[in-house]
Amino acid sequence: MAQPSSDTQRWLKISAHLDRALDLSPLERDAWLKELAATDPESASEVAALLADHRQLRAQGFLDASPMSETDASLSGVVIGAYTLMSRIGDGGMGSVWLGRRSDGRYEGQVAIKLLNAALVGRGGEERFRREGVILARLGHPHIASLIDAGVSNTGQPYLVLELVNGEHLDVHCDERRLSIERRIRLFLDVLSAVSHAHANLIVHRDLKPSNVLVNQAGAVKLLDFSIAKLMEDTGVSRLTQDSGAALTPKYAAPEQVTGEPITIGTDVYSLGVLLYELVSGQHPYGAAVKSSKDFTRAIVEQEPLPVSAAFMKAPADSRSLVAAQRATTPDRLGRALSRELETILHKSLKKSPGERYGSVAEMADDLRRYLADQPIAARPDTVRYRAVKFVRRHRRGLAAVTAIVTAIVSIVAFYTWQLAAERDRARLQAEKASEVSELLRSVLLSADPYRDPDALSDGGATPSARALLDTLAIRIANELTEQPEVQAEMLTVIGRTYERLGLIDKAAPLLENALEIGRRSFRLPDPRVAQTLNDLGVLQRRLGNFAASAPLLTESLSMRRAVAGGDDDKDVAVTLSEYGRTLRDLGRLDESEKATRDALAIRMKVLGDDHRETATNKYDLGQLLMDRGEIAEAERMFHESLVTNERVLGVEHPNAAASKNSVGNVLAAKGDLAGAETLQREAMVVRQRIFGPGNPESGFAVQSLAATLEMQGRFQEAESLLSEAYRVVVSALGADNPRVVNMAVDLSRVRIARGHAADVEVMLRRALEMRQRTYPAGHWRIAEAQALLGASLASQHRNEEAEALMRAADRIFQPIPGRQARDREANRVRLRDITKR
Amino acid sequence: MARRELARRGGGMTLSATELLHDAYLNISRREGVTFPDRNRYMGYASRVMRRLIIDYARTRQAQKRGGHFEITSISTDVADPMTSADELTRISDALDELGTVDERLVRVVDLKFFCGFSFIEIAKMLDVTERTIQRDWEKARIFLFRRLNRTL
Repeated sequence: MAQPSSDTQRWLKISAHLDRALDLSPLERDAWLKELAATDPESASEVAALLADHRQLRAQGFLDASPMSETDASLSGVVIGAYTLMSRIGDGGMGSVWLGRRSDGRYEGQVAIKLLNAALVGRGGEERFRREGVILARLGHPHIASLIDAGVSNTGQPYLVLELVNGEHLDVHCDERRLSIERRIRLFLDVLSAVSHAHANLIVHRDLKPSNVLVNQAGAVKLLDFSIAKLMEDTGVSRLTQDSGAALTPKYAAPEQVTGEPITIGTDVYSLGVLLYELVSGQHPYGAAVKSSKDFTRAIVEQEPLPVSAAFMKAPADSRSLVAAQRATTPDRLGRALSRELETILHKSLKKSPGERYGSVAEMADDLRRYLADQPIAARPDTVRYRAVKFVRRHRRGLAAVTAIVTAIVSIVAFYTWQLAAERDRARLQAEKASEVSELLRSVLLSADPYRDPDALSDGGATPSARALLDTLAIRIANELTEQPEVQAEMLTVIGRTYERLGLIDKAAPLLENALEIGRRSFRLPDPRVAQTLNDLGVLQRRLGNFAASAPLLTESLSMRRAVAGGDDDKDVAVTLSEYGRTLRDLGRLDESEKATRDALAIRMKVLGDDHRETATNKYDLGQLLMDRGEIAEAERMFHESLVTNERVLGVEHPNAAASKNSVGNVLAAKGDLAGAETLQREAMVVRQRIFGPGNPESGFAVQSLAATLEMQGRFQEAESLLSEAYRVVVSALGADNPRVVNMAVDLSRVRIARGHAADVEVMLRRALEMRQRTYPAGHWRIAEAQALLGASLASQHRNEEAEALMRAADRIFQPIPGRQARDREANRVRLRDITKR
Repeated sequence: MARRELARRGGGMTLSATELLHDAYLNISRREGVTFPDRNRYMGYASRVMRRLIIDYARTRQAQKRGGHFEITSISTDVADPMTSADELTRISDALDELGTVDERLVRVVDLKFFCGFSFIEIAKMLDVTERTIQRDWEKARIFLFRRLNRTL
């Protein structure tokens, strides 16, 4: 270590020893060093020397203060009032703190002198400042560091002379001595008694934090800075304004301090709550938000604090072990100690609204004393219902999705509670399991924070709050419910589906895969839940454009559902069969697709009846398929029937009804009734956009049919403006590679070509063609569609050779099916003739 | 980038060095043709730059003080002065360079903590290790630097 640069090996060895030593308490350290000395005396003595240096450097505060915040050391020796500054001992938001002694030698004792920012006092304020100081000096309490003097020096420097407390910060004191939770609370009760005394004298501290709560060498608590709060208030200076100038994180500030609402004794109750929270758990109530001051002030106002036990369990394992060791216990025991009463007490102290907190510090102290005595406490925990209600209140906007998932999860919890309670023998265990789940739900509801993830603001349909909730739930379920695979798998499925419904489809896949894997492992197959997950995953893969991956998932789900139902006449079988039909259609296997869809329709007619929304869905699907094959009349009948059912069962203002209406419009367009088509398609578009809201990809897709009709009418500019706006929305929600988004890119390109901007769309079309060649089987008309348009783009740039090849390839695929395909086929032939003529 | 920002704010550099770094990174990483492969390496680089900046800054301020700009009446905290002497900072910096040949992570921790004002948690996240590891690194680095400085003093 003498020449570290020349002896890397040596340092690395010593470094490892130091790692070990730094994790031990002073007592353990001695024992460990002795042990080391027995085997490696050289290292032991070196480590011992380094540790001695460590003690010394800590005492000196070596490198403690950032080079950017220190003030001049040369103030030493300066005389302020009756005192001489000796050395600088600290920094606060208000100014620097110095060790001082009486200049006239009238008494021996040393004092702490706080030099305040001159601007705080202002002109004419000196006299008042001095007077207040004298009054405050009478605020005597054994746990409050007393104010000896206050004044303004003849150079205009305001100062306070305070009792010098030689001690450590409360948290450091507790950690270094490895004080148990109980001993920590007993010390904390002294803090409360001091604050309570100040409150009785109408003084609110408003800046309680560990560095203001010292424990002296005799082990007694001493609160600092009470007087300053009062002085500042009386001299008209807002504390927080002052602090914010230093750009520090207000870790212990109450919401009302951030928002500038009136400060009351409730403000101190809140700060004390944060202090106690950290003291018992080693965590901060807002977790990661502490990292940035901007997020943090937001969190203080908007985010519910994490329940203390959850915050502790969320910490990394090694940090948990350390925190527990510092509290002379194990992580498991600490986790348990933090739940129940302590959590309730903290929760009540940390309420956003001062009126909901403890009415006085004394009440908080009473509850803590009852807790220590194992008596029931006065504060009541919030129920799941209460929290759900609170949550709903906080996030009224865009809450439908959240409500759906909360309902789903609550019902899963209820189901398990009920099911488990029914099995008498295991009743106790079951109750624990159920409460574990409901606890998890409760804490997630509490912590869902709409602003945590700024990306959430720009996503598609999901409101930020819904997304934050889902993200949190998904992570915690995956991590915490491993003991209950059944519940875990089911909850993951629910969340995965919700993601999908919100348009966040890439987030859904890993969850569902996880759920499937757990399900296969934990359930006795065939199982309806596993079948459901397979189904959901199959649907998801199709939406992602992975048609080939979708099919086997759906067939597996289908056979599992058939096995569970013992036959075909089952509504779940019909669900998966319908989905399978859609995947087959995308795969271009139209015959199989038609069979699956018709089978599903038959089951639903039998099981659900002709006049059911699900039956209507099959008719709609069948209509699409028939359109693909050019059987317009039959398609029209199907769309029409689905429209009638949907409007009657679901109402006009429902996306399904709108979809049916839109498709009837498509049929009219294919038959050449463009005006009729436009009316229906426009009505449908308006309904869908109203339901999904701006930013949701479905609102974007809602313009597609209408745009096609406008294009056919030669109203290219209208069509282009609809499509380009919609395209922006769907790309930002789903990404450019999503198959439906690619469809829209193709539509947009077609209109741009029609407007004479053929050269501009080459890149877009190349990408679309590439995507379609990857997603669709060879010979699929959608590939031809992209080829034909790309050919047109190239032809406009006189790149005839490549253009011709593409157009010919497209022509080989196109069928003269009425509607889009027939028109594209025709246009392609015309262009082909043009370039070959030249 | 941070330098330009400092210039804009004049001599009164405050504790927002952290924010400056964050902002600078965000700006750089949003641009096309990102020069830094990841945030981690950027932070390593940027924190070294910050160290140099602060030492330069301390030197300038000291020169101003000698020129008679010092006033006792304005001990203000929102305009913080880098008053660890420039010489001492330079010695710390030299010792850090020396430490870098032995244990580079310790240097990075000191740059990020002491010179840039990041919290342990933030540093842990940047370097992808636990907070506890960073705390230990910090203590070890302090021991090293303390020795080094006291020996050469």
